[in-house]
Amino acid sequence: MSNITKKVSWSSRGDELGPVGEGTPLLNGSEQPRHSRQFSEGGSLFQIDRLSTVDLEEEISAEEESARGQPKEIPHNSKLLSLKYESLDYDNSENQLFLEEERRMSFTGFRCLEISRWLICGLIGVLTGLIACFIDIVVEKVARYKYEAIKQNIERFTEVGGLSISLILWAVLNFSFVMVGSILVAFFEPVAAGSGIPQIKCYLNGVKIPRVVRLKTLVIKVCGVICSVIGGLAVGKEGPMIHSGAVVAAGVSQGRSTTLKKDLMIFEYFRRDTEKRDFVSAGAAAGVSAAFGAPVGGVLFSLEEGASFWNQMLTWRIFFASMISTFTLNFFLSISHNNTGDLSNPGLINFGRFESENLNYNLYEIPLFIAMGAIGGVLGALFNFLNYWLTIFRIRYVHRPCLQVMEAMLVAAVTASVSFTMIYFSNDCQPLDSEHAEEYPLQLFCADGEYNSMATTFFNTPEKSVRSLFHNQPGTYNPLTLGLFTITYFFLACWTYGLAVSAGVFIPSLLIGAAWGRLCGIWLASLASAGSIWADPGKYALIGAAAQLGGIVRMTLSLTVILVEATGNVTYGLPIMLVLLTAKIVGDYFQEGLYDIHIKLQSVPFLHWEAPATSHWLTTREVMSSPVTCLNRIEKVGTIVDVLSNTSTNHNGFPVVVQVSENDEPSKLCGLILRSQLIVLLKHKVFVELAGSRLTRRKLQLKDFRDAYPRFPPIQSIHVSQDERECLMDLTEFMNPTPYTVTQETSLPRVFKLFRALGLRHLVVIDDANRVRVLNLYKSKVFSRKLKIVTMILFRWLDW
Amino acid sequence: MSLRGNCLIFVFFVINICAFVNCDEGTSLDSGDQVRPDSPGLPRVPSSLLVDSFVPLSLMSSFPEDLEISNHCLELLSIFSQRYSDYVKCLVPAARPVRVCTKCYSGYGSLLNAYMNISSDQMGPSNESCRDSLMRSDRLMLVYVLFSNMQDLWEKSNCDFCITEKFQGVNNETTHFMKNLNQTLSCFEKYQQGNHTELCKNCKSSYKGLNELYSSMEKTLCIDVEDAMNMTRILWSKNFNCSMPRGETVAVIAVSSFMLFLPIIFYLSSFLHSEQKKRKLIHPKRMKSYSSLMNIQDKRS
Repeated sequence: MSNITKKVSWSSRGDELGPVGEGTPLLNGSEQPRHSRQFSEGGSLFQIDRLSTVDLEEEISAEEESARGQPKEIPHNSKLLSLKYESLDYDNSENQLFLEEERRMSFTGFRCLEISRWLICGLIGVLTGLIACFIDIVVEKVARYKYEAIKQNIERFTEVGGLSISLILWAVLNFSFVMVGSILVAFFEPVAAGSGIPQIKCYLNGVKIPRVVRLKTLVIKVCGVICSVIGGLAVGKEGPMIHSGAVVAAGVSQGRSTTLKKDLMIFEYFRRDTEKRDFVSAGAAAGVSAAFGAPVGGVLFSLEEGASFWNQMLTWRIFFASMISTFTLNFFLSISHNNTGDLSNPGLINFGRFESENLNYNLYEIPLFIAMGAIGGVLGALFNFLNYWLTIFRIRYVHRPCLQVMEAMLVAAVTASVSFTMIYFSNDCQPLDSEHAEEYPLQLFCADGEYNSMATTFFNTPEKSVRSLFHNQPGTYNPLTLGLFTITYFFLACWTYGLAVSAGVFIPSLLIGAAWGRLCGIWLASLASAGSIWADPGKYALIGAAAQLGGIVRMTLSLTVILVEATGNVTYGLPIMLVLLTAKIVGDYFQEGLYDIHIKLQSVPFLHWEAPATSHWLTTREVMSSPVTCLNRIEKVGTIVDVLSNTSTNHNGFPVVVQVSENDEPSKLCGLILRSQLIVLLKHKVFVELAGSRLTRRKLQLKDFRDAYPRFPPIQSIHVSQDERECLMDLTEFMNPTPYTVTQETSLPRVFKLFRALGLRHLVVIDDANRVRVLNLYKSKVFSRKLKIVTMILFRWLDW
Repeated sequence: MSLRGNCLIFVFFVINICAFVNCDEGTSLDSGDQVRPDSPGLPRVPSSLLVDSFVPLSLMSSFPEDLEISNHCLELLSIFSQRYSDYVKCLVPAARPVRVCTKCYSGYGSLLNAYMNISSDQMGPSNESCRDSLMRSDRLMLVYVLFSNMQDLWEKSNCDFCITEKFQGVNNETTHFMKNLNQTLSCFEKYQQGNHTELCKNCKSSYKGLNELYSSMEKTLCIDVEDAMNMTRILWSKNFNCSMPRGETVAVIAVSSFMLFLPIIFYLSSFLHSEQKKRKLIHPKRMKSYSSLMNIQDKRS
């Protein structure tokens, strides 16, 4: 019953509110005046997911408010969509210019394009690998200085007393590194915060996140991640690699940098969203592959996140980019480790090799693995739940950059002091072992020749801790140490994710999982009769890590392959798959994946795989925006400028129509033109009158559109004189004469599929000749002027 | 006993039978892989050695002259055997406390020498290489295996790091360390009776000196030094309980709880004082339609 109520509440809004505007809540990002143009204009966004999640009471109040015509202010929540985000134009505008250019191109021309695609993919791989290598080396070197300094300090003060000074030293060191990273992110490029995987997911899904693939973002991301890892936060550097790869791809494929104002005049053909998207998916794959040494996993990651746009050749190219990237990283790391040519460092995180005899698994262990998967799902859901509320709190109250920096610094200081306290009070001492040399063994109060085993987990970069949890001998950690470590690290990681620092969640998840997995292994080994070696703690640590990571991020196929490739042991494929499967099923029962939560909280209009299950009763008519703003094929410049600057029609695409007759008859659709195209036309003053007067003037070419891409100027920056306003503009050449259309009665899931599969931004709704009678019914109301109507659905994009 | 064990036994059994059959028929087979004249695959027993040690078995007749081993080689072999047993005799008593390097280095040196003589390429008086006849004639390769065991042991104990080259003697660093060690141990002995706090105080300087000396030495050390140091450390930390006490719990707790307290203040104050960020709602234009409600009501009914 409740479900039905919800449905009614959703659709009934439309009935009562009418064309004044009815309420899908929109987010206004007023904190960023730069975007005020977009915010003040009345585009609309619509989130399909709301259909099932909307709450009746809330909707009613929203309606009351909007009926009074006042914009309502509400606290941020996860059911809003932001005006900040626009759709990418994946659908190629096949106008006459484009067709002419394609026709002019010879067969060799296409071959050259294909070759340059491969070249770009190779470049993407090399550059991504180099960035990964740079991050790795810098983190390693600086972290060494930091830990050596603290270690010496601790050693000195263990003897003479005054360990609280070491604690403060540690906290201050962490604090300062994190401060640098966080200032960079919060003040210069907020979009570089977090792991960047949600943003890339959105980009591949078709949402243009402002500034997400700029060079500046890349620089801040790289510096930020170095600072936060060295700052000892519970973070990893793997997620940001994926973002970095994507930025590299978006930059390289364009052959120019708008930030640096450099144009190499190459790869101009690729300056549009469709081509760029393909390269960005290659870049994301290269990033994954550099981060985990998992080229196949990288390809599958791109497949999983951007699968609606996929073909064989693209897959092969992406695989090429991935391979090149992991090879480059490998090669340069071998140089930095002084054994050039040794290609055994495939990724930033190296799980080490699982090859020992004890690490085989048996059939009877499968149920145990599945149970661990379920635990991982529950813990992951808990993690996501806590992080969800924390993020809401942060968005509502901790939104000023200086507050964000302070918060990050506090987290760094607390992380240091918690770690120190844990190490200080730990009684778990283990003998130094020359084979598994700990990098920074801390003796503290242990007997001489022994080291504090709590310190191997806390007093180290997280990657190293993961590896020691996987590979140290059974008995290296006692259960109490592991239990305490799991609990503290769980909360620290949960608290850290979402701060204004660049940092990934992969490694902390793996670390939490490895700790409790190892705990499970120890427990199982103690259950089994003495002398039995089947429950090797390292193996269970791996399974636990997989379960925890799966429970938090809920990736499936790509994560399985990434983990299998990172362990370098194919036989673990089955248990890892089962574990991830269970973790996802159990976790989804409680809460969504972390990345999805953050996408929602950022109010991104993200399209999922399928239309919501309860949406079949909706038709296009109910979700399309109406009345539509149309342009005539030959339109007065003044009208165009007015339409573009009208704040209430912040559309990005306009149907072009021809009047069939002079009377009230509806006009006929003849094409679709984009806002960006109109702006370029206005800028170049392509007016009918001028064309006649100045014959020598060269014709506008596709190149002019490409040069303006991707940062089209806003309409306000274009000056049109009074005289020019009277001129006419012929849109025939530039509009897309064959836009996709649907009829009004098309069901929502069907429309959804079109949007998702074709990456559409606009879909024109036309009426159906067969149903004239029905349409007549509304003739007096909505479609008063048209019968052959042109209407667009603004589906999820604010602007359309 | 597992199934695998049974299988192994069976396999050995089969192999034994085969070997036996080959023995019997070996001489008559002059073609085929097993009995190439240069490296015969069959086990051979030098008859003269047998004469030395036990009564000759009646089944074992001696081999023809050209397959016999020269006296030169037999001599080398007996030298090897002598030195081998000497070395082992030295090793075993040095197992605990570990002194395998400092006590038995000379034994290893002469053993190595004997082995080198056997394995070198040079031809003996009768123009034959003892390496081939002694080491490569059978699949057991006893001489080689025995020696490589000892070599492994030597390498594992890193003895090269405390013995001078050519096995002349213990090197200076190690001697120095051992001297310091003895000082420390005698100090321990002196104060061992009664209260250990006395010991901790009085022997601290010599123990610390030893500890520093140890850590200043090269990264890889021979097992003797390593073991001696380990034992001393265990004595010091476990038996005499002279480790650092955990002295400043209060200070550490105070500082860290202060740190933990900061975020609470931060969040509270930002909750109370920071202005909550509100979002403005903007409504998309949608078609005003009475039909949808009707449709839904139709569907519901």
